[in-house]
Amino acid sequence: MDIFLAAVFTGTSKGAIYALVAIGLVLVWRGSGIVNFAQMGQAMFSTYIASTLIINGYSYWIAFVIALIIGSILGVIVDLLVMRPLSNKKGSELLDSQAMKSTIPVIASLGILGVLQSSAGMIWAAEERGFPTPVSNLGFKIGKDVAPFTAFDLFVIGIVLTVLILTTIFFTKTGMGLAMRASALNAEVAKLSGIKTGQVRTLSWAMSGCASSLAGLLVTPSANLSPNTLDLILIIGFTATVVGGLDSLPGAVIGGLLLGFIISFVNVYLSPEDVFLAIMATLLLVLIVKPQGILGKKDSRRV
Amino acid sequence: MLIIKNLSTSYGSIKALTDVSFKAESGKITTIIGANGAGKSTLLRSITALETPTQGSITWDGTELVGKSTESIIRSGIAHVPEGHAVISQLTVEENISVGSLFRVRKNKSDVKKALNDVYELFPRLMERRTQQAGSLSGGERQMLAISRALVSRPKLLLLDEPSLGLAPLIVEQIIQTINDLCRKTGLTVLLVEQNANTALSVADHGILLALGKLIADRPASELRSDTSLRAAYLGY
Repeated sequence: MDIFLAAVFTGTSKGAIYALVAIGLVLVWRGSGIVNFAQMGQAMFSTYIASTLIINGYSYWIAFVIALIIGSILGVIVDLLVMRPLSNKKGSELLDSQAMKSTIPVIASLGILGVLQSSAGMIWAAEERGFPTPVSNLGFKIGKDVAPFTAFDLFVIGIVLTVLILTTIFFTKTGMGLAMRASALNAEVAKLSGIKTGQVRTLSWAMSGCASSLAGLLVTPSANLSPNTLDLILIIGFTATVVGGLDSLPGAVIGGLLLGFIISFVNVYLSPEDVFLAIMATLLLVLIVKPQGILGKKDSRRV
Repeated sequence: MLIIKNLSTSYGSIKALTDVSFKAESGKITTIIGANGAGKSTLLRSITALETPTQGSITWDGTELVGKSTESIIRSGIAHVPEGHAVISQLTVEENISVGSLFRVRKNKSDVKKALNDVYELFPRLMERRTQQAGSLSGGERQMLAISRALVSRPKLLLLDEPSLGLAPLIVEQIIQTINDLCRKTGLTVLLVEQNANTALSVADHGILLALGKLIADRPASELRSDTSLRAAYLGY
């Protein structure tokens, strides 16, 4: 029973982080039709900056806020400097084809990931660092027993819940949220309604950058920080997005939690070596049974 | 007044519009008629910068529009209802209408609400369905919704692209009449693109006939309507 509860709690807090990564991917996908593989590179970069600040004596919370701001700015920079020029550029007929138009930005995002990882390697000498938690990372004590979850797990779940509620309010209650949904669903109608679709699109990159750097801050305490620690999280987060439906925010959360549970149960009941097999099996199963993802729309674009 | 001078627009090597010039009087309905592929939609899309003209100028009340962005043209008081009942099917009816007035919320909050009520008054059926998804509407209701989205921005110039497309004659009549009333009552300038020349010419003040991207006739609607030889040659009836 203890083992089972441990698996459930670890699954929830890990799943919450994957959900956050997935939310970041979905925001950019809906905003501009691009799968941004550089996302966790951006997160790694902002987490390194937070870690440097903490090492230099700043408090966790100052570093936390600055990392989120830098994460958002990195999102804006990637969109303005790379993605927007790429999508505006009119090249040969081959480059203008729909297939190339959707492939080129993805390849570019892999390039950005490489640049971010090697510059982080140069700046911080690729040293592995630990990363602190704001609250205890040890199991609660109940009498003599140690409970299978920690204050930090609760903190993670609380933060992800807050993000979820805030994004839901943003999309359903605010004008900017409506503008963003309209631009994502039908860019021409949005433009013809006077919406500045370019700005709205960049905002979605900023929000995505913020969400992913948050994921970076929350996941690094258990993974140690190095230029490519977050690669694995990106793969799991991307799988969560595909499982949940690439264009659905609730889908991203469901996909994230589902993968969190699968990973933690396989870890506990089978062996850590089978984790990847389980992830790929889940992906394969979803792609065969419901290729648009659990909550994805059938008529919408697919990868 | 909308003045179009020597306008040409191409898609790659295909010329969709060649050297088109005409004027559309303020407060009047000007209809652009012609067969499929005559360049009618391209003309409207060039006005709102959805297509970039290769030459020529478009001025509205003295301001040059060529070179401006779609968003800023819309914000300057021009509304465009594109072809094919352009609504966002995943949003509700009221969200669809609100999208059209988002850019006015900050400057003119009180009028945004009034504008919404005004379009509901114009199309009471949309009021009944305001919480429904736009995808669940009938073709006629969708067209009403697309027009409402445009009207809620309180435009001075309304560009309508084939509102009759795929609709039953009775609904077409109703929509065209609503537009006609609006123009007569509020002084709205309307540029109406239609394949259904008869209906369009019956309400319009002025008619422009296009064929293969060139301007064939620029005359009062009543004259165009009674010119049987032009009709036979270019509209096929």
